[in-house]
Formats: sequence, C-alpha cells, structure tokens
Amino acid sequence: MIVFEDVSFKYAQNTEENSLVKYSMHIKKGECVLVCGPSGCGKSTVIRMVNGLIPHYYEGKMTGNVKINGKTVADEELYDMAKLVGTVFQNPRTQFFNVDTTSELVFGCENMGLKKEEILSRLDSVADKAAVHKLMDRNIFKLSGGEKQKIACASVMTSGPDIIVLDEPSSNLDYSAIVDLERMIEMWKNEGKTILIAEHRLAYCMKYADKVIIMNHGKKLKELGKEEFCRFSDDELHEMGLRSLKNTDSRRMSIYSDTRNKMVMNNLRFGYDKKNKILDFDKIEIPAGEIVALVGANGVGKTTFLRCLCGMEKRCKAVLQYGMKHYNAKQRMKLMYLVMQDVNHQLFAEDVLDEVLISMADENEEKAMEILKMLDLEEVAQRHPVSLSGGQKQRVAVASAIAAEREILLFDEPTSGLDYGHMIQVAKLLKGLKEFGKTVIVVTHDAELIENCCTAVINLEALKNVNNK
Amino acid sequence: MNEKKRKLYIDPRTKLLLLVTIAMFVMGGIGGSRMLPCTIVLCFIPLFLLLIQREWKNSIIYVLLYGLGCGMQIMLIPIAEGILGMLLLTVCVVVTRILPGVMMGRYVIRTTKVSEFVAGMEKMHVTNKITIPLSVLFRFFPTIIEEYSAINDAMKMRDIRLGGKKALQMLEYRLIPMITCSVKIGEELSAAALTRGLGAPVKRTNICKIGFGVTDYCIFTICMIIYVFWITGFV
Repeated sequence: MIVFEDVSFKYAQNTEENSLVKYSMHIKKGECVLVCGPSGCGKSTVIRMVNGLIPHYYEGKMTGNVKINGKTVADEELYDMAKLVGTVFQNPRTQFFNVDTTSELVFGCENMGLKKEEILSRLDSVADKAAVHKLMDRNIFKLSGGEKQKIACASVMTSGPDIIVLDEPSSNLDYSAIVDLERMIEMWKNEGKTILIAEHRLAYCMKYADKVIIMNHGKKLKELGKEEFCRFSDDELHEMGLRSLKNTDSRRMSIYSDTRNKMVMNNLRFGYDKKNKILDFDKIEIPAGEIVALVGANGVGKTTFLRCLCGMEKRCKAVLQYGMKHYNAKQRMKLMYLVMQDVNHQLFAEDVLDEVLISMADENEEKAMEILKMLDLEEVAQRHPVSLSGGQKQRVAVASAIAAEREILLFDEPTSGLDYGHMIQVAKLLKGLKEFGKTVIVVTHDAELIENCCTAVINLEALKNVNNK
Repeated sequence: MNEKKRKLYIDPRTKLLLLVTIAMFVMGGIGGSRMLPCTIVLCFIPLFLLLIQREWKNSIIYVLLYGLGCGMQIMLIPIAEGILGMLLLTVCVVVTRILPGVMMGRYVIRTTKVSEFVAGMEKMHVTNKITIPLSVLFRFFPTIIEEYSAINDAMKMRDIRLGGKKALQMLEYRLIPMITCSVKIGEELSAAALTRGLGAPVKRTNICKIGFGVTDYCIFTICMIIYVFWITGFV
C-alpha cells in the first residue's frame, strides 16, 4: 500500500543536513503505524511524502522512490493524491480553507467535483459517525482547539480516502480532546483505513497501532511491533528522545505547596460577553515563589485567567494582593510577563540584544548581555529573533521579561508539540527562574512537565466546581 | 460569517453590486452634485444592514461619525480658512466618502461564506484564476485580525504603545511579527488546501444554495434607478 524505497530528501532551504536518509518502509493496507522520534528526526517529512506535498509543494532534492497503491507519488498530481490520502495537520489554525465548518467538511468533495446529492449524503453520514452535528454551520474561528481538530478529522472522512496520515495532531489538545481523537482512529481502523501517525505523545496511539517506527536524524532506528515497543521503560524511551508511554491526565495531578507566601486574586469575574462569565471567583490563592501549574480541561478558562492575571483584560476589575501591596490591572501589567503560546507574536526587534534592550527601563548593554548569558543566548545576540529555533525564541521572550524586571512570569502551554529533550529544556528554564527568585505560573496539559518541575498545582476546574456549590 | 444567525439573506452577487455602486457614487463621487440624493440613499443602506444584523453599537457609531462629518462640512465650507480649515474640511470629506464603503465592505466580509462567494463568482462565469485568490482573501481577513490583536497584546505587555517609550518604532515592531506570522500561515494554508484537492481540473461542485429573493430585487431596483438617473444626466 505505502512503500518507501531508499528515500533520501534534503529541503531546498536547508543546505546542511538531509532530512531523510535512505529511508525504507512498507505499510500494508489496513495497518496503523506510528512514526516517532525527537523534533527534526524526519517524521513530518515522511508524512509529506505520503500526501505528495513533497516533492510537489516543498522543494528539495529527492532520491529513491515512494509508491502509494503502486503509483509513484512524484509522477502523480497533488489533486489526484488528494483522492487517495487525507491529511490531518498539527496546527488547527492553519488547516482550514473556509471560515464556516460545513463548507470545510465538504471542501474536498467539492474540489473533486462530486454530485451535490452525493456530497450531501456523505456529509450526513460523516456528521453521524464523527459526532459533529453540534459543530455544523459554525464559525471555525470561534471553535476550541479540540473542536477544530474534530472538524479536521471529519473533513478528511467526507473525501473518503483509503489512507489517512496525521502530522502531530494532538500537539494542541487536552486530555479529553485526545480521547476524542483516539475514538476517530479506532473508527478508521475498523473501517479498514491505512493510518500513519507522526507523534510525540505516544500513549493514545498505542491501542490501535500495529507497529512503531522510531526515527532519528532522518534514519530509521528501529521498527517494532506494538508489544515489543510497549516493553520499553520510560528511561529507555527518554534516551531515544521519546515521551513517556503513560497517559496521565494532568487534571488528576496534585502537588501542594506549603509556602505561607501567597498572592491572592480577589473578586475575579470576567466574561467575553455579558451573559456568561467564564471566571467567577471571590478569591484565588496562588503560592508565590513557586512553579505553579494551572490545569483544567480546554475551555475552562485557563488562558483567560492568565490574561486577567497579567492585566491584559482591562475590563477585569479583580485586584491582586501581593506582598503588602494591592495591584489593579494596569499595575499588574508592570509586575508580570506572559510568554505566549505563539512566541512569534512577541518578538519585534532587529536582533536578540535589541529585544532585551527595549525592555529595560534604562538601556544597559552590559546588563543585557549578562541576562543573555544566563539564558544561554550569548552566541545568538546579534541574530534576528525570527531566525532562531522555537526554544531559543521562548528564552528570548523570557530574557526580555527579566530585563523589564518583572517578578512573575506566566507561560501559556510552553511545551505543546515538544519532544522529550525540549520539554526537559523548558523544565530547566522554569526551575532556573524559580531559583532566580521569580514566581512562575504555567498553563499546561503536559503531565511530564508538571512531574519534572512544578512545585504546586492549581486545578481551575476543581476550584470552579467548589465555587458552584 | 458571523456566529449569530444571519437575519437577512442577500445573494453574494447583490452584495457585490451594492459594494460597486457605493464605491462608484459615494467614494468616487461620480456624477457630481446632481447625484447627491442618490448618494444619501446609498449611505443609508449600510446603516439599514447594520440594524438588521442588530449591531447597535456600530450603527450608532456610524450615524454619529457620518452625521458629524456632514454637519462639519456644512458649517465649515463657508468659514474654512487657511491650512487648518482646509485640513479639517478634507478630513470631513474623507470620512463621509469612505465610511459608507468601509461599512459595506465589513458587512460583506462578515456575512458571506467563502463558498457562497465562490458560488456567486461561478454563476457570473468569472474564471478560477480570479475567484480563488479572492476567496483566500476572505479567509485571510479574520486570520490577520487574530494575529493583529495578539501582537497588540504583546505590545501592551512590553509597554510599547502610543505615548509609551519607543512610540516611533511602533509601526515597525508591529509589522515584523505580522509579516512573519502571515507568511507562515499562508504557507501552511496553501499546503492544507492542496492536500484537499484544490486546483483539480474538474468542474467544482458547490453545495451552498444561492439565489435572488425579494430583498435582492429591491436592491436591484434601487441601484438601477440610480444608474438610470446617472446616465440621463449625460443626455
């Protein structure tokens, strides 16, 4: 069904390293295969070769042969590949062509030029099977990450391809949305689809995977059956740059901090429209000087909480009691710094050093370099922030927060889509900040991150429930 | 498309006609002062549509701004003197001319689904080479707005704002992340659309129903009257 024979590939813009080296694999019809490995190991490249984006969209130097159903991908047109292979991408923000859900669900069928009646009947059956009735005819921009990914899966189904490939589909999902994704995979498996998943989060794939391919540096390290793979201990997995096989629900975790030193958000009430309040608390206590994980299901208001806390939502009238002082929204903005999920939004300057300098009250190059040194950014001080890796960008944002002398740092999902090694790096960064005397508050679904560095957990969902009683 | 149900259905082709008509007569000022009654009618159309959408706040803003612009013009024309007077007058004229078109454009973007727009263009036999880029634009607008507000938030946090430090570099700081993000989004969007078979050389189906109703004929009539009135001016 899917055959790779000695395939090598080098992206046109990457001159140094091959993204894929003499890679071979055979996937039979109806098999479900998991491809895993650290970031940059070439698993996305494999996915792009199956759906034809390589060599038709992403340019580069390719040798070897990729065949799907006996056809050579390089000789087929992309729109013909679209009938054979459906793709679910990592980023739910950029995989939709339409603004409303129903149009998106039928988009693939419309492009094939199917008859209208046929499309409508497919739409009906997919809406039943994928349970997306509630999501029909909605604005995609107003859906949660989990809902978007559901629509992405359902859209693939309406086109009815035999092969479905998924490129890190769970990166932005919480525990319950991942359970939904698992159900989708189960359904496809039962329908006899061939499934190829590239993933960091392994646990949810294991139930239905027939085999696992472990990659590194563009090469296949191992190809194992599921049973064999499941015998690996967590330590062995971590050594290969892989995440744990345990599927821990971050919402069930609890760590109590016994610090007396607390900050209190009083009168926290906020909603984006008048009718429904997302946040409605008399007070929330947050331990100071700790690394606090903020957990709870998608949509419970974690990001909104961060936005209110750091004073970005001006309409939120809550007052923070911190130390001996009281802070309103405007004052909190000078006390805190939020490192956003998409760090690209907060890097403006021409080089890294400049980025730190503009955050200082008085520009002081010596001090700025000290901060960069502390965060291991010394060598890239003259580079443009855009040219850095994701982890470096995150650290640049942190550097500017330190330069601005903010005492409390907030992180919104800093490890979404990261492999084990990079997750550990973030954990180290957070620990370093704590030692430096900062309070760190981090919104996360990542149980491994919490285990590795957090010293307190606040469950927003549980707090909400207590509040309602 | 707005999350709230649309209160009134107007065919995308009618919306396009309205947009063109408003652009010609209100913004472009074709036909000169003889067309004044027509432009006033045309300026009321966006207000009417806003009210139907129940966007009370925007309706009030529109009325106030437009009224202020008109009033200032009437008051200022006899007394405007010097550079300042002329400048003020220019601002008023620009507001009254551009505002209705902007409001209309906003309405069209917010109430038209991408596939409706594509269907409308297909019915008018416009080639795909024009339709597809334009439809991408529809998709891009909300994305850009999302990006813009995220960047805005980041700016506020860094204390880079009007009157804050580095106010002059504000534009540059805003543009850089905007461009980086837009390029990335554009690339990923195209990749996703291609894997779903966009651009296949078959006739695309479109499942959304478009067609003319009473409202459309009313708008047609109004526009036709305006065009006829305009043409008779030459005779």
